[in-house]
Amino acid sequence: MRILIRQHKQAWASLKKKPGFVLTVLMTMGITLGALLCAITLNYLLLVEPLPYPDQDRLFVAEHGVTGAKKETKGLAFTYPGLVHLYKSKAAFEQAAIMSYGEDVIVSHNSQPLVNTAYITPELHQILASPLALGRMFEASEAMDTHNPVAMLSYNTWQQEFNGNVDILEQKINIRGVSYRIVGVLAEHFIEPELEEIGRETQVWLPFDFNSAGEGQRQSFGNISGNLKFIGLLNKEVSQSQAVQLLTPLVNDRWQEGVAEISFFKGWSIDMRVRPVKEVMLGQSESIAIMLLAGVVGLVLIACANISNLFMARTAEKQRQMAIQAAIGATKKHLFKAMLAETSILMFMSIILALVIAKSGFYIMQQYLGAVLPRVNELSLNPITFGCAVLVTVVFALFFAKLSTRMINYRALNTTLQSSGKGSGLQVSKKTRQVLIASQVALATVLVFANFSLLKDAVKTINAPLGFTTTNISTLRLNFSSTDSPSQEESIPIMAGIMEKLEALPQVESLSQSGSPLDGFYLRALTNVANNERYTPFLKGADQRYFNMIEQPLLQGDNFTRVDRQDGNNVMIVNQAFAKQLKADGDVLGLQLSMGGPDPHKIIGIVKDIAIPGETAIEDDGSAEYTGVPRAYVASRLGAQTFMLKLKSGQSVSREQLGKLLAEVDSRYAVFSFNSADDILTQRLFSEITTAVTTAVLAGLVFLLAGIGLYGILSYGTQLRRFELGARMAIGATKQHLVTMIINDNAKSVLVGFIGSVVLFALAYIGLSEYIQPFLTWQVLPMIVATLILITLVTLFACYWPLRKYINKPAIFSLRGSD
Amino acid sequence: MTDIKIEMKNIGKVFETDDVETHALKDVDIVIRAGEYVSISGPSGCGKSTLLSLLGLLDESTSGSYVIEGHDVSHLSLDEAAHIRNEKIGFVFQSFNLIDEISVFDNVALPLQYKKEIPTDEFIKERVEACLKMVEMSHRADHKPNQLSGGQQQRIAIARALVADPAILLVDEPTGNLDSQSGDTVMAVLAELNKNGTTICMVTHDARYADMAKIQLKLLDGQIVNDEALKVAV
Ligand SMILES: Nc1ncnc2c1ncn2[C@@H]1O[C@H](COP(=O)(O)OP(=O)(O)OP(=O)(O)O)[C@@H](O)[C@H]1O
Ligand SMILES: [Mg+2]
Repeated sequence: MRILIRQHKQAWASLKKKPGFVLTVLMTMGITLGALLCAITLNYLLLVEPLPYPDQDRLFVAEHGVTGAKKETKGLAFTYPGLVHLYKSKAAFEQAAIMSYGEDVIVSHNSQPLVNTAYITPELHQILASPLALGRMFEASEAMDTHNPVAMLSYNTWQQEFNGNVDILEQKINIRGVSYRIVGVLAEHFIEPELEEIGRETQVWLPFDFNSAGEGQRQSFGNISGNLKFIGLLNKEVSQSQAVQLLTPLVNDRWQEGVAEISFFKGWSIDMRVRPVKEVMLGQSESIAIMLLAGVVGLVLIACANISNLFMARTAEKQRQMAIQAAIGATKKHLFKAMLAETSILMFMSIILALVIAKSGFYIMQQYLGAVLPRVNELSLNPITFGCAVLVTVVFALFFAKLSTRMINYRALNTTLQSSGKGSGLQVSKKTRQVLIASQVALATVLVFANFSLLKDAVKTINAPLGFTTTNISTLRLNFSSTDSPSQEESIPIMAGIMEKLEALPQVESLSQSGSPLDGFYLRALTNVANNERYTPFLKGADQRYFNMIEQPLLQGDNFTRVDRQDGNNVMIVNQAFAKQLKADGDVLGLQLSMGGPDPHKIIGIVKDIAIPGETAIEDDGSAEYTGVPRAYVASRLGAQTFMLKLKSGQSVSREQLGKLLAEVDSRYAVFSFNSADDILTQRLFSEITTAVTTAVLAGLVFLLAGIGLYGILSYGTQLRRFELGARMAIGATKQHLVTMIINDNAKSVLVGFIGSVVLFALAYIGLSEYIQPFLTWQVLPMIVATLILITLVTLFACYWPLRKYINKPAIFSLRGSD
Repeated sequence: MTDIKIEMKNIGKVFETDDVETHALKDVDIVIRAGEYVSISGPSGCGKSTLLSLLGLLDESTSGSYVIEGHDVSHLSLDEAAHIRNEKIGFVFQSFNLIDEISVFDNVALPLQYKKEIPTDEFIKERVEACLKMVEMSHRADHKPNQLSGGQQQRIAIARALVADPAILLVDEPTGNLDSQSGDTVMAVLAELNKNGTTICMVTHDARYADMAKIQLKLLDGQIVNDEALKVAV
């Protein structure tokens, strides 16, 4: 033990003399291992760690698979009566809950906030065994069809909207005209299963009865809705596949009955899906997490190569010292132990830094990746993280120590002493050095290039033209705070009044009674009257001012008129993509499309296509070849409750201001949402922006690591050649001679590295051609050139910088043994 | 006057380390003429190596003037000093300082590569072979330096020092790393060279070898104590 302490003290003392070396190791290993711990913890959480619910292995989500006539999947969403039917049947599940997600305004609250709501049956929190901070969860008296208005709050809502008021229970909140009594507050550590959308937190829980579905939707088997969910504990003796077999006929038979009258659904059917909750929550995130881990492991490998170089160089440097130790009786094992003392000190410091970095990484992920990755709120430094940290420390300390001591030719140590010729000391051989430089360059080139490409793609999506403008445009949606919504006739004069007031606002330049393209379209089934072909384009209501305001050009035909809207004319404007789908030549003016009702819609105009970022095109049955997203527009009704406001530049309007304005016209109306189109755009581009930032950071990091690595090798290489440099200077070599010589010597290795990267790419191309092929265009040429230039610059810097301290001093400095 | 190869006047060298000033050389005057064989000796730490590195323009003096073959070299940039070293000075170090990765032939040819105008390949070949012959190492031209004995390596180093036809050969303890027999051979080579006209200035500890020089300078605490150079001149 005493020897061990002494050895560590000695190692510490010798490290203290090399702050540059220590700092390089610390930063390189600390940063990359921090990223590694982060990625490992994330992967463990997502892939291995069970959900924090009792019986989580029996926790399943049932989904309605809507299957078309050609057995293709049309969607995964329930019809309202289908969901209720399944819930009431009580089949296959020991206990089950249904829910409907929504967004609502708490009208009774001063600031009238918009909150995420979930309308649930009482079993949900029972199944999840949700911990509570205050009060109770819903009970049988609040089950379906009891119409008992109670509410539960999330912990954050309680804290933020109600200031953590301890007397919150029994208080009332008003949402859409219903006054709910608060009966419970969930605990801070309650973890909500993210079934619909990653990162969505339900702020107010309400009984299922009060969900926003209208009377029509509650009865309609033809209307599917993505926010309806079914979750339950599967019966112990029922397997996943048995459940599917049990539920499919049960649901499908009832559905067939329900849609028997609707010819559109001819040949369609429902097949149930039953998936573990964990799988539903994980979604696409599994591959993101694994990619992240793979990327980080790549980084660790480069870092490891870099640090290996440094340790080898250090051994070479300590050769003489070790020779003296060997001469006075140190065995190979002694030398290894001394080296291990040094590597373990370094790794210990690195892992401490890594833990700090991992902790900050969790924080960053929770702040910025909450919408991309599920369960990030559960991330913390846990035993797995610490276990990995210990393992990594031990493995790397042993590895570096072993690597360093393996370099030592123990038998040759004594000869080192005897032949004290300074020029002929044992060193990292030229070959080893060349191989290291070449591998470094190859790895760095590949990684920098890959990162460049990702970055370029992300930036391209971010900068892709939308085909419409978002400048100064905001969408206003109204909230009606009463149970029964007003009829069209009733709302027309109210909306007219509201519009009059809005237009009178000095900040408002123009107004449209329709939502922005970024607020979404909905899928609608249409039938071409001429040939009975069916289509499912994206549909949206628009008024006569819509296209003008967003500057989407009308290519052919006419715009909607106010008269069209007043008279309820069945007119339609389609985009180019849909026009092409309907008719190969795209000449579709006058074509009639039916929505199922008696009067078909007539196409009166064609507008240019637009691109909405983040919207993936749905391939239409795979039949028609895909061109763009097909869209259709119908004239919005005069009672429509969504508006686009174009504000004068530099002006703004607040939510409160609008709320007051609405109340003046009709006190039952409040602001549901008021968002600028640019904000929505940023949100939609979130994943691209995240990718861009991540890859930019990663590219920077790779570059830094590659730089450090190259610098490390080249610098030690130069240091080892110090006496040679001195000798050359003594016989008349000028600075230029020496710089040229070092660059020439290294150029070969760098070239080999470049060729190596090409080989790596070729291998990747053979292995992953389907991913890479679309990527190989002439456009990569400038990126290849940029990568090569960058790497070359780093190399030149790494050649010159270590050299400068020798060539800018009198030759005697390089020739003398000491500094 | 033209036969004066080297003329140092009032040369001083001060090393400043942290807060200590070491006056390694004080007011040193040296004149070396063509064909002379000068030895510098003295106790350890008296400034021999320092003086030699100033003579060889490996380092800059703190004060004084220095003229080589009529050129004032007291104040030169690093690159100018490199050119003068290349053209006028041949170095032989105690620790050989040969480059292991290239052959003996290439080691010897190296100073010619650093000339302002690189000579033709034929000239280089001729010259290198001639120099190797002078030190009797022609048969080892294709070997690598680390395949040779210490004495052989030192003879290669001498050949390298001669190849650019320098004004003077500066030699720092040439036998320090050698056994006495190899040392004797090396000293014999130097004596032979001097006989054929090469000007030599050698630092040595060994009184036996110092006696081989015609002019013997003694250094003590950074100063020359006997001035035989002047005596001979008179
Ligand atoms: N770079 C330096 N920094 C500070 N002091 C130095 C430096 N180089 C030499 N000295 C000092 O200058 C003095 C002369 O040193 P020098 O190496 O010339 O001695 P030397 O006569 O060659 O000795 P030896 O016979 O032991 O080689 C010594 O006191 C030495 O400590
Ligand atoms: Mg000396």
